[in-house]
Amino acid sequence: MSRALRILVVDDEEAMRESLAGWLMSDGYAVATAAGGAQALELLAADPRDLVLADIKMPGMDGLALLERLRAEHPATMVVMITAYGSINTAVQAMKAGAADYLLKPFDPEEMMLTVARLEKHRALELENASLKEQLAERVVFEDLIAQSPAMLSLFDLVAEVAPSEASVLITGETGTGKELVARAVHARSQRAFGPFVAINCGAMAESLLESELFGHERGAFTGAVKARRGRLEMADGGTLFLDEVGEIPARMQVDLLRVLEERRFFRVGGSTPVASDFRLICATHRDLPDLVESGGFRRDFYYRINVISLAVPPLRERPGDVELLAEHFRARFCRETGKRLAGLSREAIRLLKAYAWPGNVRELKNVMERAVVLARGSRVEAKDLTFPAGGAEEPAGTLAEVEVGYILRVLAAQEWNVTAAAKVLGIDRVTLTRKLKRLGLTRPA
Amino acid sequence: MAEPLAEVAPLGPVEANALAVVAGHLQAIFELPALVAPPWPEPDYALIAHRRQYDAGLILGGLAQGRPPGRLRLGVTALDICLPIFTHVYGEARLGLGVGVVSLHRLARGLAEGARPPRALVYARLAKTALHEAGHALGLTHCQVPGCLMAFSQTMAQIDALEGGLCPACQADLAFRRRLLSSASTP
Repeated sequence: MSRALRILVVDDEEAMRESLAGWLMSDGYAVATAAGGAQALELLAADPRDLVLADIKMPGMDGLALLERLRAEHPATMVVMITAYGSINTAVQAMKAGAADYLLKPFDPEEMMLTVARLEKHRALELENASLKEQLAERVVFEDLIAQSPAMLSLFDLVAEVAPSEASVLITGETGTGKELVARAVHARSQRAFGPFVAINCGAMAESLLESELFGHERGAFTGAVKARRGRLEMADGGTLFLDEVGEIPARMQVDLLRVLEERRFFRVGGSTPVASDFRLICATHRDLPDLVESGGFRRDFYYRINVISLAVPPLRERPGDVELLAEHFRARFCRETGKRLAGLSREAIRLLKAYAWPGNVRELKNVMERAVVLARGSRVEAKDLTFPAGGAEEPAGTLAEVEVGYILRVLAAQEWNVTAAAKVLGIDRVTLTRKLKRLGLTRPA
Repeated sequence: MAEPLAEVAPLGPVEANALAVVAGHLQAIFELPALVAPPWPEPDYALIAHRRQYDAGLILGGLAQGRPPGRLRLGVTALDICLPIFTHVYGEARLGLGVGVVSLHRLARGLAEGARPPRALVYARLAKTALHEAGHALGLTHCQVPGCLMAFSQTMAQIDALEGGLCPACQADLAFRRRLLSSASTP
């Protein structure tokens, strides 16, 4: 019987580590082992666990230091400290530092199993609680997509509605809006969710390479084809094939793909045996395909075949309500990744982010936030930590007043709130700028 | 007699009846033709002197040496066994690796301090623990079905409450493992 709780046993003594892991495994738990704190952190970064059983006394990073790192980097992971009779005070210290429990060794196996079973129940309750809260909260997370704007929420509804069907989907939207995430969400909500999701960017490679990537090739099909290779069409069997930048597919290959979609069979390059593959097709493009069809740059029949259901992802500037939510999401994510502790974003920083046009959409916001987290020196992300690509602010969103506020704040932040210097950059005198600040209610952040 | 698939190895002095009980149950319940091996010396190499107990993990290492392929080897001892991290164990096995060990030492204790249970009850506990460890040694994990021999028993009272047989799912798993063992024993 397999259990839901995933455990990591950390002990420098192999005999202890292995006997504990063996017992837990025989009770159906998925158990990994680590010989020390550093190895444990490495393992957890790649494969998070619900429960860590760690010895307090270890060379190098001891149990308490490991506990501290775990609290900061994996706050959801429960930690049980293992200690000898002599170090009971340390165990008490560990409990104060956030350990879920401790075991005095040697311990009664029954006591250990009861402790683990209790924590398993606790974790199950926590998950149930989180799931109930999620149901109650305003829906902002859908698969890996995050939004609260009405435009995105209707897109989520549409995805949920069309995902279970087998129809081809065409996702349109500007670069950086998250078309691949939408494709992954369709896949995750479909009946093919347990099959592979195979993505290929058709705009990123030359025609011959794209053909071999899609269809695979037999050994000796061309110079350099030293062994046979499966193509993406074959790999997607039982799952979903995602063709990104479908507008870049050359005309001849559009015919080949059309045939695959109709026949569900194809030949590898240089092959003579047909290969069958059962996949659902999702395409994406930032180009205006109907326009391309009219100009003869895209086959009409292929367009109709791939565009059974179309999903349009709105650009970020059309959903300013999502900017703060996404910025906060990326702040938390990059804090986790870099180990930095930043409590949030200042009001000025948020105002600045909202005033920006985001020509590169969510991807650009992500980059700006990543840089901001790295650069931030204070306890939160400030306006001065935000750097925008040159020229990016020339296409601002919002009303004239919002644009004005955003621009003034950016200049002030760049000049570290030296009003005289900022006025000089803005081309107005200091008194005018001071009046403006008063009128707009802008004050230097604390 | 069919080629034995299980071997009961007495570690140090062990009463003959206990060995016969273990071999008999392996044969009757697990359908593993079993033999009782000649006595092995006490496992001094596994003694943890300051605890006056024997390390079950080290004993399993000793039992694994020279084990014929395709034969389960189950040690039976009257010594008190434990793991370095645990105060005691009634039995221990290496999951799927064909070796296990059981101890009569604590099974012969009464539920109340100082009480001595009747011999028949001790043998029943021994048989259940031996089959449980043999199950692990063959690759079976703990089972959630109440009363199944592979259920995890936390107390002596729970061992006593086990019914002495496997649930249908564990029975099917055992049949598969037995076939694996048997195929490994065929030259």
